[in-house]
Amino acid sequence: MTERSLDDLIDEVVVGLASEEDCARIEKMAERDAEIAARLDSARMRYMALDETADELELPAQMWERVASDIATKQVSTEDKPPEIVDLTPAIRNRNRWRLMAIGSMAATIMLAVVLGWTLNARLEPTVIAVLLDAQGQPVALVEGARNNKTLVTLLEAARVPDNQVMQVWTKPDSDGPPVSLGLLPSERSGVLEVEGLPSPAADQLYEITFEPYGGSPTNLPTGPILGKGFAKTPVL
Amino acid sequence: MTALPANTSTQDLTGTASLHNHFSQWSVAAAPDGENATAMSVINHAALIKACANGRQSALKELMEAEGGRMLGVALRMLRRQDLAEDAVQDSFVLLWRRAGQFDAARGSAKGWIYTILRNRCLTLLRNSDREISVDPQEQEVAGDDHVLDSAWNRLDAASDLRMCLELLEPERRSAILSCYILGYSHGELAGRMQAPLGSVKSWIRRGLQKLRECMG
Repeated sequence: MTERSLDDLIDEVVVGLASEEDCARIEKMAERDAEIAARLDSARMRYMALDETADELELPAQMWERVASDIATKQVSTEDKPPEIVDLTPAIRNRNRWRLMAIGSMAATIMLAVVLGWTLNARLEPTVIAVLLDAQGQPVALVEGARNNKTLVTLLEAARVPDNQVMQVWTKPDSDGPPVSLGLLPSERSGVLEVEGLPSPAADQLYEITFEPYGGSPTNLPTGPILGKGFAKTPVL
Repeated sequence: MTALPANTSTQDLTGTASLHNHFSQWSVAAAPDGENATAMSVINHAALIKACANGRQSALKELMEAEGGRMLGVALRMLRRQDLAEDAVQDSFVLLWRRAGQFDAARGSAKGWIYTILRNRCLTLLRNSDREISVDPQEQEVAGDDHVLDSAWNRLDAASDLRMCLELLEPERRSAILSCYILGYSHGELAGRMQAPLGSVKSWIRRGLQKLRECMG
């Protein structure tokens, strides 16, 4: 990139014309390089007089309480602590143990497999199910959310994850609030995610999977392209 | 120099002295904003962000009292809806709290950092709402946008470098750049409004940004 085009890009980032990818790229470059940070800052300063021309409006009376409650509730749950990916091996080990006990009897094995399938299902007890659709309306993933905020994500086709990116699962517990991360799918496979501190999922809750930089979104909000999204329904059980 | 806008045709924009004359007529109107800026600079944004990083919520509240109203104004210009603008301000203060530890005063202005968080949040909300609700520009909306731009332009401190340099751009280019920064227009929206091909709008805007940069550099 020539110096001139870097300055062009910095200006586009500052006036809001750059893509999210370019914004993230420039921010990263500025983090590493003090000289670029200075150029970015001086571009921001160039336009900041325009922010001063906005009306100074009265904030709603509850604004501080809203912010304070967000800080109190979300800090412990999703954002500051990297969401854990639940390891499925204990369940698999569990299944193997059952299989060993049933060895010698094909019928018993089949029966136990059926029982086990039922057990695994029962353990999750989804209160909501969402089918995530891509931009073309094709189903790409099935999301089952349980009351204890375990979320089973089943991919319905292999996702083409861009290099150095990872799939991140989001939901909006409050339809007017910001999206909250449920966790990453680093192995590009289906998985169970678990977070604490969120309200139980409800019908019509939005679920979404985006591609984010490796390690998850740097802003704790979805930044990348959307793989699929969908609204939850309550299953009829 | 040719094709100057009519309202500046009597000015000789090549001479520095006359340039200052040209701008001096605005200085009276700009006085209130000037005072405002002085009052606001009493707040030490950087120290307050640092206090946030150390977990002092009262510092965040102080920042909200100092900047929240203006931030809501900035957000409302971009998002046009009170509820979305309030969400953007709320999200921004939450983000500000969480990222306060990453702020480095040596790397840039504290106030710039705060408004960058806000502007990015607004742009994200704008893009998301574009995805979910199809935004078809209505006549009324275009008129509203023009009004917002005019009012911003009239309030822009006449003595500021930005104002002087924006004056040197053709009115269309100036207004396009202001639409991006103030209203959050994308290249695509600009191209739609101007009924021009996307590629040429991109390079046309880029040349405007370059001119501003050279003028203010």
